Amino acid sequence: MSTAITETEPKLLPGDLAIWFFIFMELLVFGIFFIAYAVMRIQNIEMFNQYQLTLNRELGAANTLLLITSSYFVVRAVHAIRLNNVQSCIYWLYAALGGGAGFLILKSIEYSDKFSAGISLGTNTFYMFYLSLTLFHFLHVILGMLILFAVAIKAQRGSYNSENHTGVETGASYWHMVDLVWIILFPLVYIIR
Amino acid sequence: MKAYYNIHTIWLVMMLLTLSTYALGDIGFSGVVAVLILLSTAAIKGVFIIRDFMELKGVSLLWRVIMYGWLGTVCLAIAITYFISI
Repeated sequence: MSTAITETEPKLLPGDLAIWFFIFMELLVFGIFFIAYAVMRIQNIEMFNQYQLTLNRELGAANTLLLITSSYFVVRAVHAIRLNNVQSCIYWLYAALGGGAGFLILKSIEYSDKFSAGISLGTNTFYMFYLSLTLFHFLHVILGMLILFAVAIKAQRGSYNSENHTGVETGASYWHMVDLVWIILFPLVYIIR
Repeated sequence: MKAYYNIHTIWLVMMLLTLSTYALGDIGFSGVVAVLILLSTAAIKGVFIIRDFMELKGVSLLWRVIMYGWLGTVCLAIAITYFISI
């Protein structure tokens, strides 16, 4: 099976080395954000517990499912190009972009509800963290989608094949980082109390 | 070597773990055990992403330490702050 994970692993990092330094820096920033949220919560436990209940957990969970599935589609795209199946790679990349678009739509619905209720960064400490953390991540989803779209266009132009697909792996690595961050953000902000 | 699991299984397990996280939140599960379970679930999903989606299994130890170290540090720091407040 082409998608099977076996004991034979690559020795090199997938994709361009530069993206891994970028990913590391991004993770550091998000990590500091997460810990700051958790520390600030200690001083405002009642407020955080109260306003966390106003968040839409259903949309948060749906967005998690969308991002995980989108990441899975990107894995399929990488596996396809390694088998020189360019058309399949393009198909999976656009499917992943669909997942990202779904995330943006659901998140926009969530923001619309909050903003129409008069909630802003200045409402209280909890909403300041909720809005800034999720908006920061929202921007990363957009950037990740732009990268995946650029990779899909290059794939359509025949720039990638089984021998040369560093660009696909690079875009995939960044998209997985966006997923990884949300995997922590969702339970931290929406669920754990 | 026989492949005993694959990327499809991992995707499915991650979906189920996400649904379990949502369910625990929906029933208002809280306290030390809840924090441990929810953070462990997030950490397991993180390991799947780093190891199997990002394909860092078998790359240099430095990069694995960086990625798993980030995941472990963030989860541990969050757990400590929540335990302090419980």
